[in-house]
Amino acid sequence: MSAIWVLMGLLLLSYLGSFLFGSHRIRGIGLPSGAEYVVLGYVVGPDVLGMLERTTLHDFDPIAHVALGWLMFVVGATYGTTRGRRVPGRRLVVGWIVTLFTGVLVGGAVWLLLPLVAASLRPVDRVLIAGGVGAAGAETTRYAVRWVVERHHAAGPVSELIGELAEGDDLVPLLAVAAFFTIRPADLVVPVSQAGLVGITIGVGVLLGAVAAALLGRTFRIAETWGVLIGVLLLAVGIAERLELATVSTSFVLGATLSRLCPHRDAVAAILAPTERPVMLPALLLAGAHIDFGAAPYLPAVVALALAARVAGKALVGLGLSRVFRAARPAGPRLGLGLLPAGALSMSVGLAFALRFRDAAGAVVLASSAVITLFGEFVGPVSLRSALARAGEISDEAPASSARGAEA
Amino acid sequence: MSAPSAPKEFLTRAVQLFVLVSLFVVLLAATRVVPVLDSRAGTITAIGFLLITGTLTSELVEVVGLPHLSGYLLAGVLAGPHVFHIIEHKAVEDLSTVNALALALIAMEGGAQLRVEAIQKGLRGLGYATLAQTTIVLLISGAVFAAARPLLPFLAPLSPLALAGVALIWGALSVSRSPSATLGILSQTRASGPIAQSTVTFVMSSNVVVAVLVAAVFVVARPMIDPSASLSLREVKRLGYDLLASVAIGTTLGLVLAAYIRVVGKQLILVFVALGFGLTAMLHYLRFDPLLTFMVAGFTVQNLSRQGPRLLESIAHTGSVVYVVFFATAGAHVDLPLLRELWPVALLLCGARAGSTWLASRVASRAAGDPPAVRTWGWSGLVAQAGLTLGVMTVVERDFPSFGAGFRALVLSTVAINELAGPVLFKLALDRSGESATGPHPSLSSLSERCAPPSSAES
Repeated sequence: MSAIWVLMGLLLLSYLGSFLFGSHRIRGIGLPSGAEYVVLGYVVGPDVLGMLERTTLHDFDPIAHVALGWLMFVVGATYGTTRGRRVPGRRLVVGWIVTLFTGVLVGGAVWLLLPLVAASLRPVDRVLIAGGVGAAGAETTRYAVRWVVERHHAAGPVSELIGELAEGDDLVPLLAVAAFFTIRPADLVVPVSQAGLVGITIGVGVLLGAVAAALLGRTFRIAETWGVLIGVLLLAVGIAERLELATVSTSFVLGATLSRLCPHRDAVAAILAPTERPVMLPALLLAGAHIDFGAAPYLPAVVALALAARVAGKALVGLGLSRVFRAARPAGPRLGLGLLPAGALSMSVGLAFALRFRDAAGAVVLASSAVITLFGEFVGPVSLRSALARAGEISDEAPASSARGAEA
Repeated sequence: MSAPSAPKEFLTRAVQLFVLVSLFVVLLAATRVVPVLDSRAGTITAIGFLLITGTLTSELVEVVGLPHLSGYLLAGVLAGPHVFHIIEHKAVEDLSTVNALALALIAMEGGAQLRVEAIQKGLRGLGYATLAQTTIVLLISGAVFAAARPLLPFLAPLSPLALAGVALIWGALSVSRSPSATLGILSQTRASGPIAQSTVTFVMSSNVVVAVLVAAVFVVARPMIDPSASLSLREVKRLGYDLLASVAIGTTLGLVLAAYIRVVGKQLILVFVALGFGLTAMLHYLRFDPLLTFMVAGFTVQNLSRQGPRLLESIAHTGSVVYVVFFATAGAHVDLPLLRELWPVALLLCGARAGSTWLASRVASRAAGDPPAVRTWGWSGLVAQAGLTLGVMTVVERDFPSFGAGFRALVLSTVAINELAGPVLFKLALDRSGESATGPHPSLSSLSERCAPPSSAES
């Protein structure tokens, strides 16, 4: 398939995505994580139908980088807020701990498994795969939580708790990715330590975020806002890519810095929010097309263990939450399974690894992300709904099945 | 794009200057730390860098009354391969793909700016202007070009007849204008009045006139330059087919767009992107003219439906990105070493073109009885030059290899001068004649005030 047709297809997806997402609410069409687009990408990709060849996919790498960057930019710009209000600091910290716990559990399990199934693997690749899978398997996608809450009109302290944890858990995996990307650094004229490279990854985001905030905070006009937002994002992605750093981390920090420093943060968030879904769907499709289940013989074992570790981790988290938060007790440990949905962040981490590390390491991380996302899609929303019902936060009425219902 | 005269405090300018210098320093450092790079990363960086620095430079040059376009061009020149070398040659070439989208939007906006009533009202003036600008500019520019032969070594081997042929082509090229520069200045100044209206009408319609003129001149000049060639109307015939097809496709596209805006009316930016890349690729494949097609589409939406204002509004939202990238890329394209070499003769030819444009404007205005403002300033919007000129230059270079390279260098040098000077002149004219809008553009602060926090909006 020629590049122009692929581009048209991606634009069509983007167009469809724009109708599936309005402002801050998710409509009742499609799956909450967008996993169906990952599957679609995989089916049309080189592994199945071959409509998208590897060379064509390679041509679209810049678009994939920019799409991932934009997604994480939006995530950063709206980070730590839910339904227009800030998530309390304490809840953010709980979210970080929960994510860190799950990520370490998943990554640690993979780390221990790798010598058994891939004895000849280089130590650096072992770290990369374990770290990447851990980062991809740590989050709970906020879309699934919002989807369940909005679709079933859930309201109460447990819904609020889960929503806030999901909104605040993006930071940990993205910082981890920033660190893992420096394990195999680019050839720089001036040698820079790994810590220095992580500092640059974050520093570029902070610097450009401050630049954007300074420009938008003065007397810039609306017409110029898009130029500034797109400009700083492309610059951040370009610099990070040039230095072979984690573009997703830099973009996230850029968005978060802009959100913290810009006096017009609400206006900026209102401008950015509707762009998230139109960018996400093509990115998910590209991620699906990049999946290569045959990249390494040990891939199935890693994916299976990562999935099992994630389920165990989230179940333990649910147990912990139900013990620590009184309101969550009626929901019971099943609440943890409700935290299983993964989505844009996991797939973004997976695709970022696949684009940066074009060997088995990247492929294993991406394949793990995809399986984790798909599994979470089947188990997560149902479990969350059940947990919220046990907590008495969902009435027995039928769910709002249409977009109109969700929007009402 | 912003209002021309919004006063800004010193601190704002200082912040902008500081950010601009910082960005140049950071990018210079990055290019030195990683000298060899993946060209795709270079292209992404280039677009981002040009967007930010172009916007900032345009804000800073506003202080001295220069148009934003000059700021974009200046940012491109400074960042380009011949000054700081932050943007590589390859990245500049890659950006031409992005420019396809920019050109499509600019052409569509240009078409949508043309209203049948306005054309009918100014038909007499348009007719005189077209006639005068075409003949006077062609003859004077061609004559000065031929007279400058001693300064142009690549013309030395040519016979007098061949020289006349090349001069004829040069004259035809001189008639071409820059729709993008015209629309860019109008977008910034939001000008309305006789100068703005007559300029946009003339510049957009002259695109078609110049295409026909260039084809006709090629028919005549080819046997003069190459004695083995015979007079052939094949190119004119082909041009006729191309024009007809472009108009037909453009009309259909315009009707479809109008229906879409009326029925759906959402996500027009995405539709524009799809058209800009997809349809342009298809038209190039079919060898039709994308510029004319999109212009006719815009014209159709404006004049055969009620959706013109919405189309223009949607295109205007893209202005802060489209114009910056387009003109900053043009700036990065400016070949400074070549300009340094050829500037005396290029300046002479530019002067002749500007002078003949002024003369033609005076003659046409007097004959048509135009308002005084148009008589005085009507020529100012016709100095900028790009686009079509560069396209014809490529054809000349390909068809006449004996002098093509020298001809190309001269065209690039004169276009660079016209592109830098033209927007300044046009903005000056609009400001002096009082046609530039003086009200403020909506600011982000006003949006912040209007934009209730999502919590309250959703509750």
